Amino acid sequence: MTRYLLRRLPSAAVVLVLASMAIFGMIRLVPGDPAATLAGPDATPESLAQIRADLGLDQPVWSQYVDWVQSVMTLDLGRSYRVGGEVSDLLGDAAVNTLALTGFALLLAIVMALTLSLVTVIVNKPWLDAFVAGLNTLAVAVPTFVTGFVLVLLLAVLVRVLPAGGTPPDGFLARPDISVQYLLLPGICLALPAAAALARFLTDALETQLEQPYVMTARALGISRRRIVWTQALRNALPAAVAVLGLQVGTLLGGAVLVEAVFAWPGLGQLVERAISSRDYPLVQVLLLLSVVVFIVTQLLSDVVHAWLDPRIRLGGVA
Amino acid sequence: MTPSAPSPLSATPRPRTGPRRVVRATITTLALGLALTGCSSAVAEKGTADVGSEPQEGGTLRLGITTDLLPTSVFSNASDGTNTLIGLVYDTLIDYGPESLEPQPSLATSWEQSEDGRSLTLQLRDDVTFHSGREFTSKDVEFSIKNTFADPAWAVQLQRTAAAITEFDTSKPNEITLTSEQPLSNIFDLLDMVPIVDEESFAGLKDGSEYVGTGAFTFEDWQPGASMSFARNEDYWDGAPNLDGVEVSVITDANAEVSQLRAGQLDAIVGGSFRDLRSLEKSGDFDVQPYEGAENQYYVGSNVEHPVLKDVKVRQAIAFAVDRQRIADDVLQGIGYPTVLPWPEYSPAYDEGVNATYDRDVAEAEKLVSGVGKIDPIPLQYQASNPNSEAIAQIVQANLEEIGVPTELRPTEHAEFIAQLIGAEFEGLWITNHSYAQYNPSTLVVSAYPFNAEKNASRFSDADYTKNANASWTLADPTSGDAGEVYDALNKDLLDNVFLTELAITYQVVTTSTAVQDVAWSKRSELDLTDAYLAE
Repeated sequence: MTRYLLRRLPSAAVVLVLASMAIFGMIRLVPGDPAATLAGPDATPESLAQIRADLGLDQPVWSQYVDWVQSVMTLDLGRSYRVGGEVSDLLGDAAVNTLALTGFALLLAIVMALTLSLVTVIVNKPWLDAFVAGLNTLAVAVPTFVTGFVLVLLLAVLVRVLPAGGTPPDGFLARPDISVQYLLLPGICLALPAAAALARFLTDALETQLEQPYVMTARALGISRRRIVWTQALRNALPAAVAVLGLQVGTLLGGAVLVEAVFAWPGLGQLVERAISSRDYPLVQVLLLLSVVVFIVTQLLSDVVHAWLDPRIRLGGVA
Repeated sequence: MTPSAPSPLSATPRPRTGPRRVVRATITTLALGLALTGCSSAVAEKGTADVGSEPQEGGTLRLGITTDLLPTSVFSNASDGTNTLIGLVYDTLIDYGPESLEPQPSLATSWEQSEDGRSLTLQLRDDVTFHSGREFTSKDVEFSIKNTFADPAWAVQLQRTAAAITEFDTSKPNEITLTSEQPLSNIFDLLDMVPIVDEESFAGLKDGSEYVGTGAFTFEDWQPGASMSFARNEDYWDGAPNLDGVEVSVITDANAEVSQLRAGQLDAIVGGSFRDLRSLEKSGDFDVQPYEGAENQYYVGSNVEHPVLKDVKVRQAIAFAVDRQRIADDVLQGIGYPTVLPWPEYSPAYDEGVNATYDRDVAEAEKLVSGVGKIDPIPLQYQASNPNSEAIAQIVQANLEEIGVPTELRPTEHAEFIAQLIGAEFEGLWITNHSYAQYNPSTLVVSAYPFNAEKNASRFSDADYTKNANASWTLADPTSGDAGEVYDALNKDLLDNVFLTELAITYQVVTTSTAVQDVAWSKRSELDLTDAYLAE
């Protein structure tokens, strides 16, 4: 397993370096001047020049890039131009909120997908297949912000049973019962498309397994379809679903941008939006680089789990 | 190829982390979550804990804002967060009444101006302390003016006026004399705006970690992008406020902010679309309160170097063509009114007759552009994130199309828009809003960037306008008969040249549940909760 992991690391490092260059260059190509945003509409040319010098924006771009890389490698992420505070602090606070939300959504997505797939495959009725397929299509097709507004309208405004947004005032750990309520609406909203995608892949994988000779043998021995699914088919179907799950983590993190806006959830998505709209270079660069790192790590983890579940992959065989 | 079949069921050892275990664990977790959900209600907790049963002391006001505190622009009136912080934590030397330019005592109890208008002596309260416990003296006034508004690094309005104060006599702790080389007609505007800051903690103010003032509330905490909290200042010189504190939530999406107010998670919000606010008001559960006296104006700016817009007749035609009443009714939902002059009605420069100069007259507009020839579409920019600007831009586009002036709408992102505004880089027309016409007229024409006679986004330069703007700034008495003549001349400059076409005056708005009473605000749209309380 370690050798398999080591084989994957160089390509990940190359992707990271190229991504850092792309991020650094692209944010500077976007129209808008961070010094002007910082100074506001009444700035004089002198104050603008002073702000540029203070931020190091008067240096050549390559020099700024080298400085940034050196700082990041020493874990000095710098100060935010506009939002205020140390980038590391902003990142830490927002990451906790986003991880709590995406973690909860991932859990919901897994539960929903497992339930739907298992019920569909075990019951094995055409009308249920059609119904679940319809639900899946709806969950994927309806944008998360629409789902969000509908959930808020129904469960927070019309029937005031859950908060319309925001995070638990005393943190996630102080009152778990309160925290779950804050997490439910954004969590469901974020989880639905992921659950639909996951359910579709898992159902297909389960049905493929059920067509295998070992299942026919088991059925011939009189073992029920339900037992076969629970004890054999599910385990063999999981590798494909885990690969999809890895992709869904990235999708969930991406989808969090919209969901965080709808539910006023102060996470990474909102921080990215604020940083980009104010051209807060230090913050944008770190946040985008972080998203690249998360994708790379997630893919690596997904591949490792996949390899763990399927020995042919780690041994370099063909699927 | 298909994978080989696993061993027969009877021979298969149960996997340590088999699917059953995974399923069981996830179901258990979900069940636990649902069980926890049933324990107590987050909504009920938030909704009942803070609201008192009758008008009385106590309770924490939960306020929603859409734009967070900006430490680097804390004196720039640049965001809801900044305005909230300044309004709650800091005092000023004087306060203007809501729709008046008559100074009222605050940290200064009385004042006397020299006849030549170059010197102003203020008597200061002797019972004021900063939140740190340190006594407030005249030296704090000098420090505050020099290090906030006079410092160009903060890039604030009235920097020119603050910098024009050349002498500070602080020999007596409770008296200060401010002297300038020339009369400053808008010096009381400055005193109404400059927050009195604490020198000892000023470094913390710069990095956003510490805000120490003399105001009714003390700054407790700021979580960037999420929240701010404030506590009652028990030792406030004007009597401790009724509220125990104020919890501010930053909710960048205006729809989400309104939803939280509707859901009972918030007691008050600043911002929200005018249409949503009207809907809230109609429900009877909320009060919509425009910050009357703290006006701001939507306008159409013109780059006077544009091949078509350099012809003043085209700019005048635009001023005749725009349907201000429709903008006030449809976009501002009646939270505002049409205007041609920038000034609100209580301004000494307001003239009702002159304000009718460009009443909508499509025929006159068509006549003015008839001799211009074929006009290619003129770019019309507005801030993409501002729904009001977008709606106004569409109305203006239709109005100009009607008179034969085609435009091309260009939604522009905030950062790019500000950069173009500062750099005077707009290609043709743009729509945004300005403020500061609610102060003495010179504050607008000397300090506010769109009107600044020295340098403005329209690239408009005119010797008469510059002369009249400076004359308004150096008036010894901004309410005298001489002042009237100067303002008449300024109005003529603005309306003859129309490098900016004013559309409508509107207001920032605070919307509260009916439980929230006695909310006030400053002329700079800073929330004042000194007398506010929560009632049943």
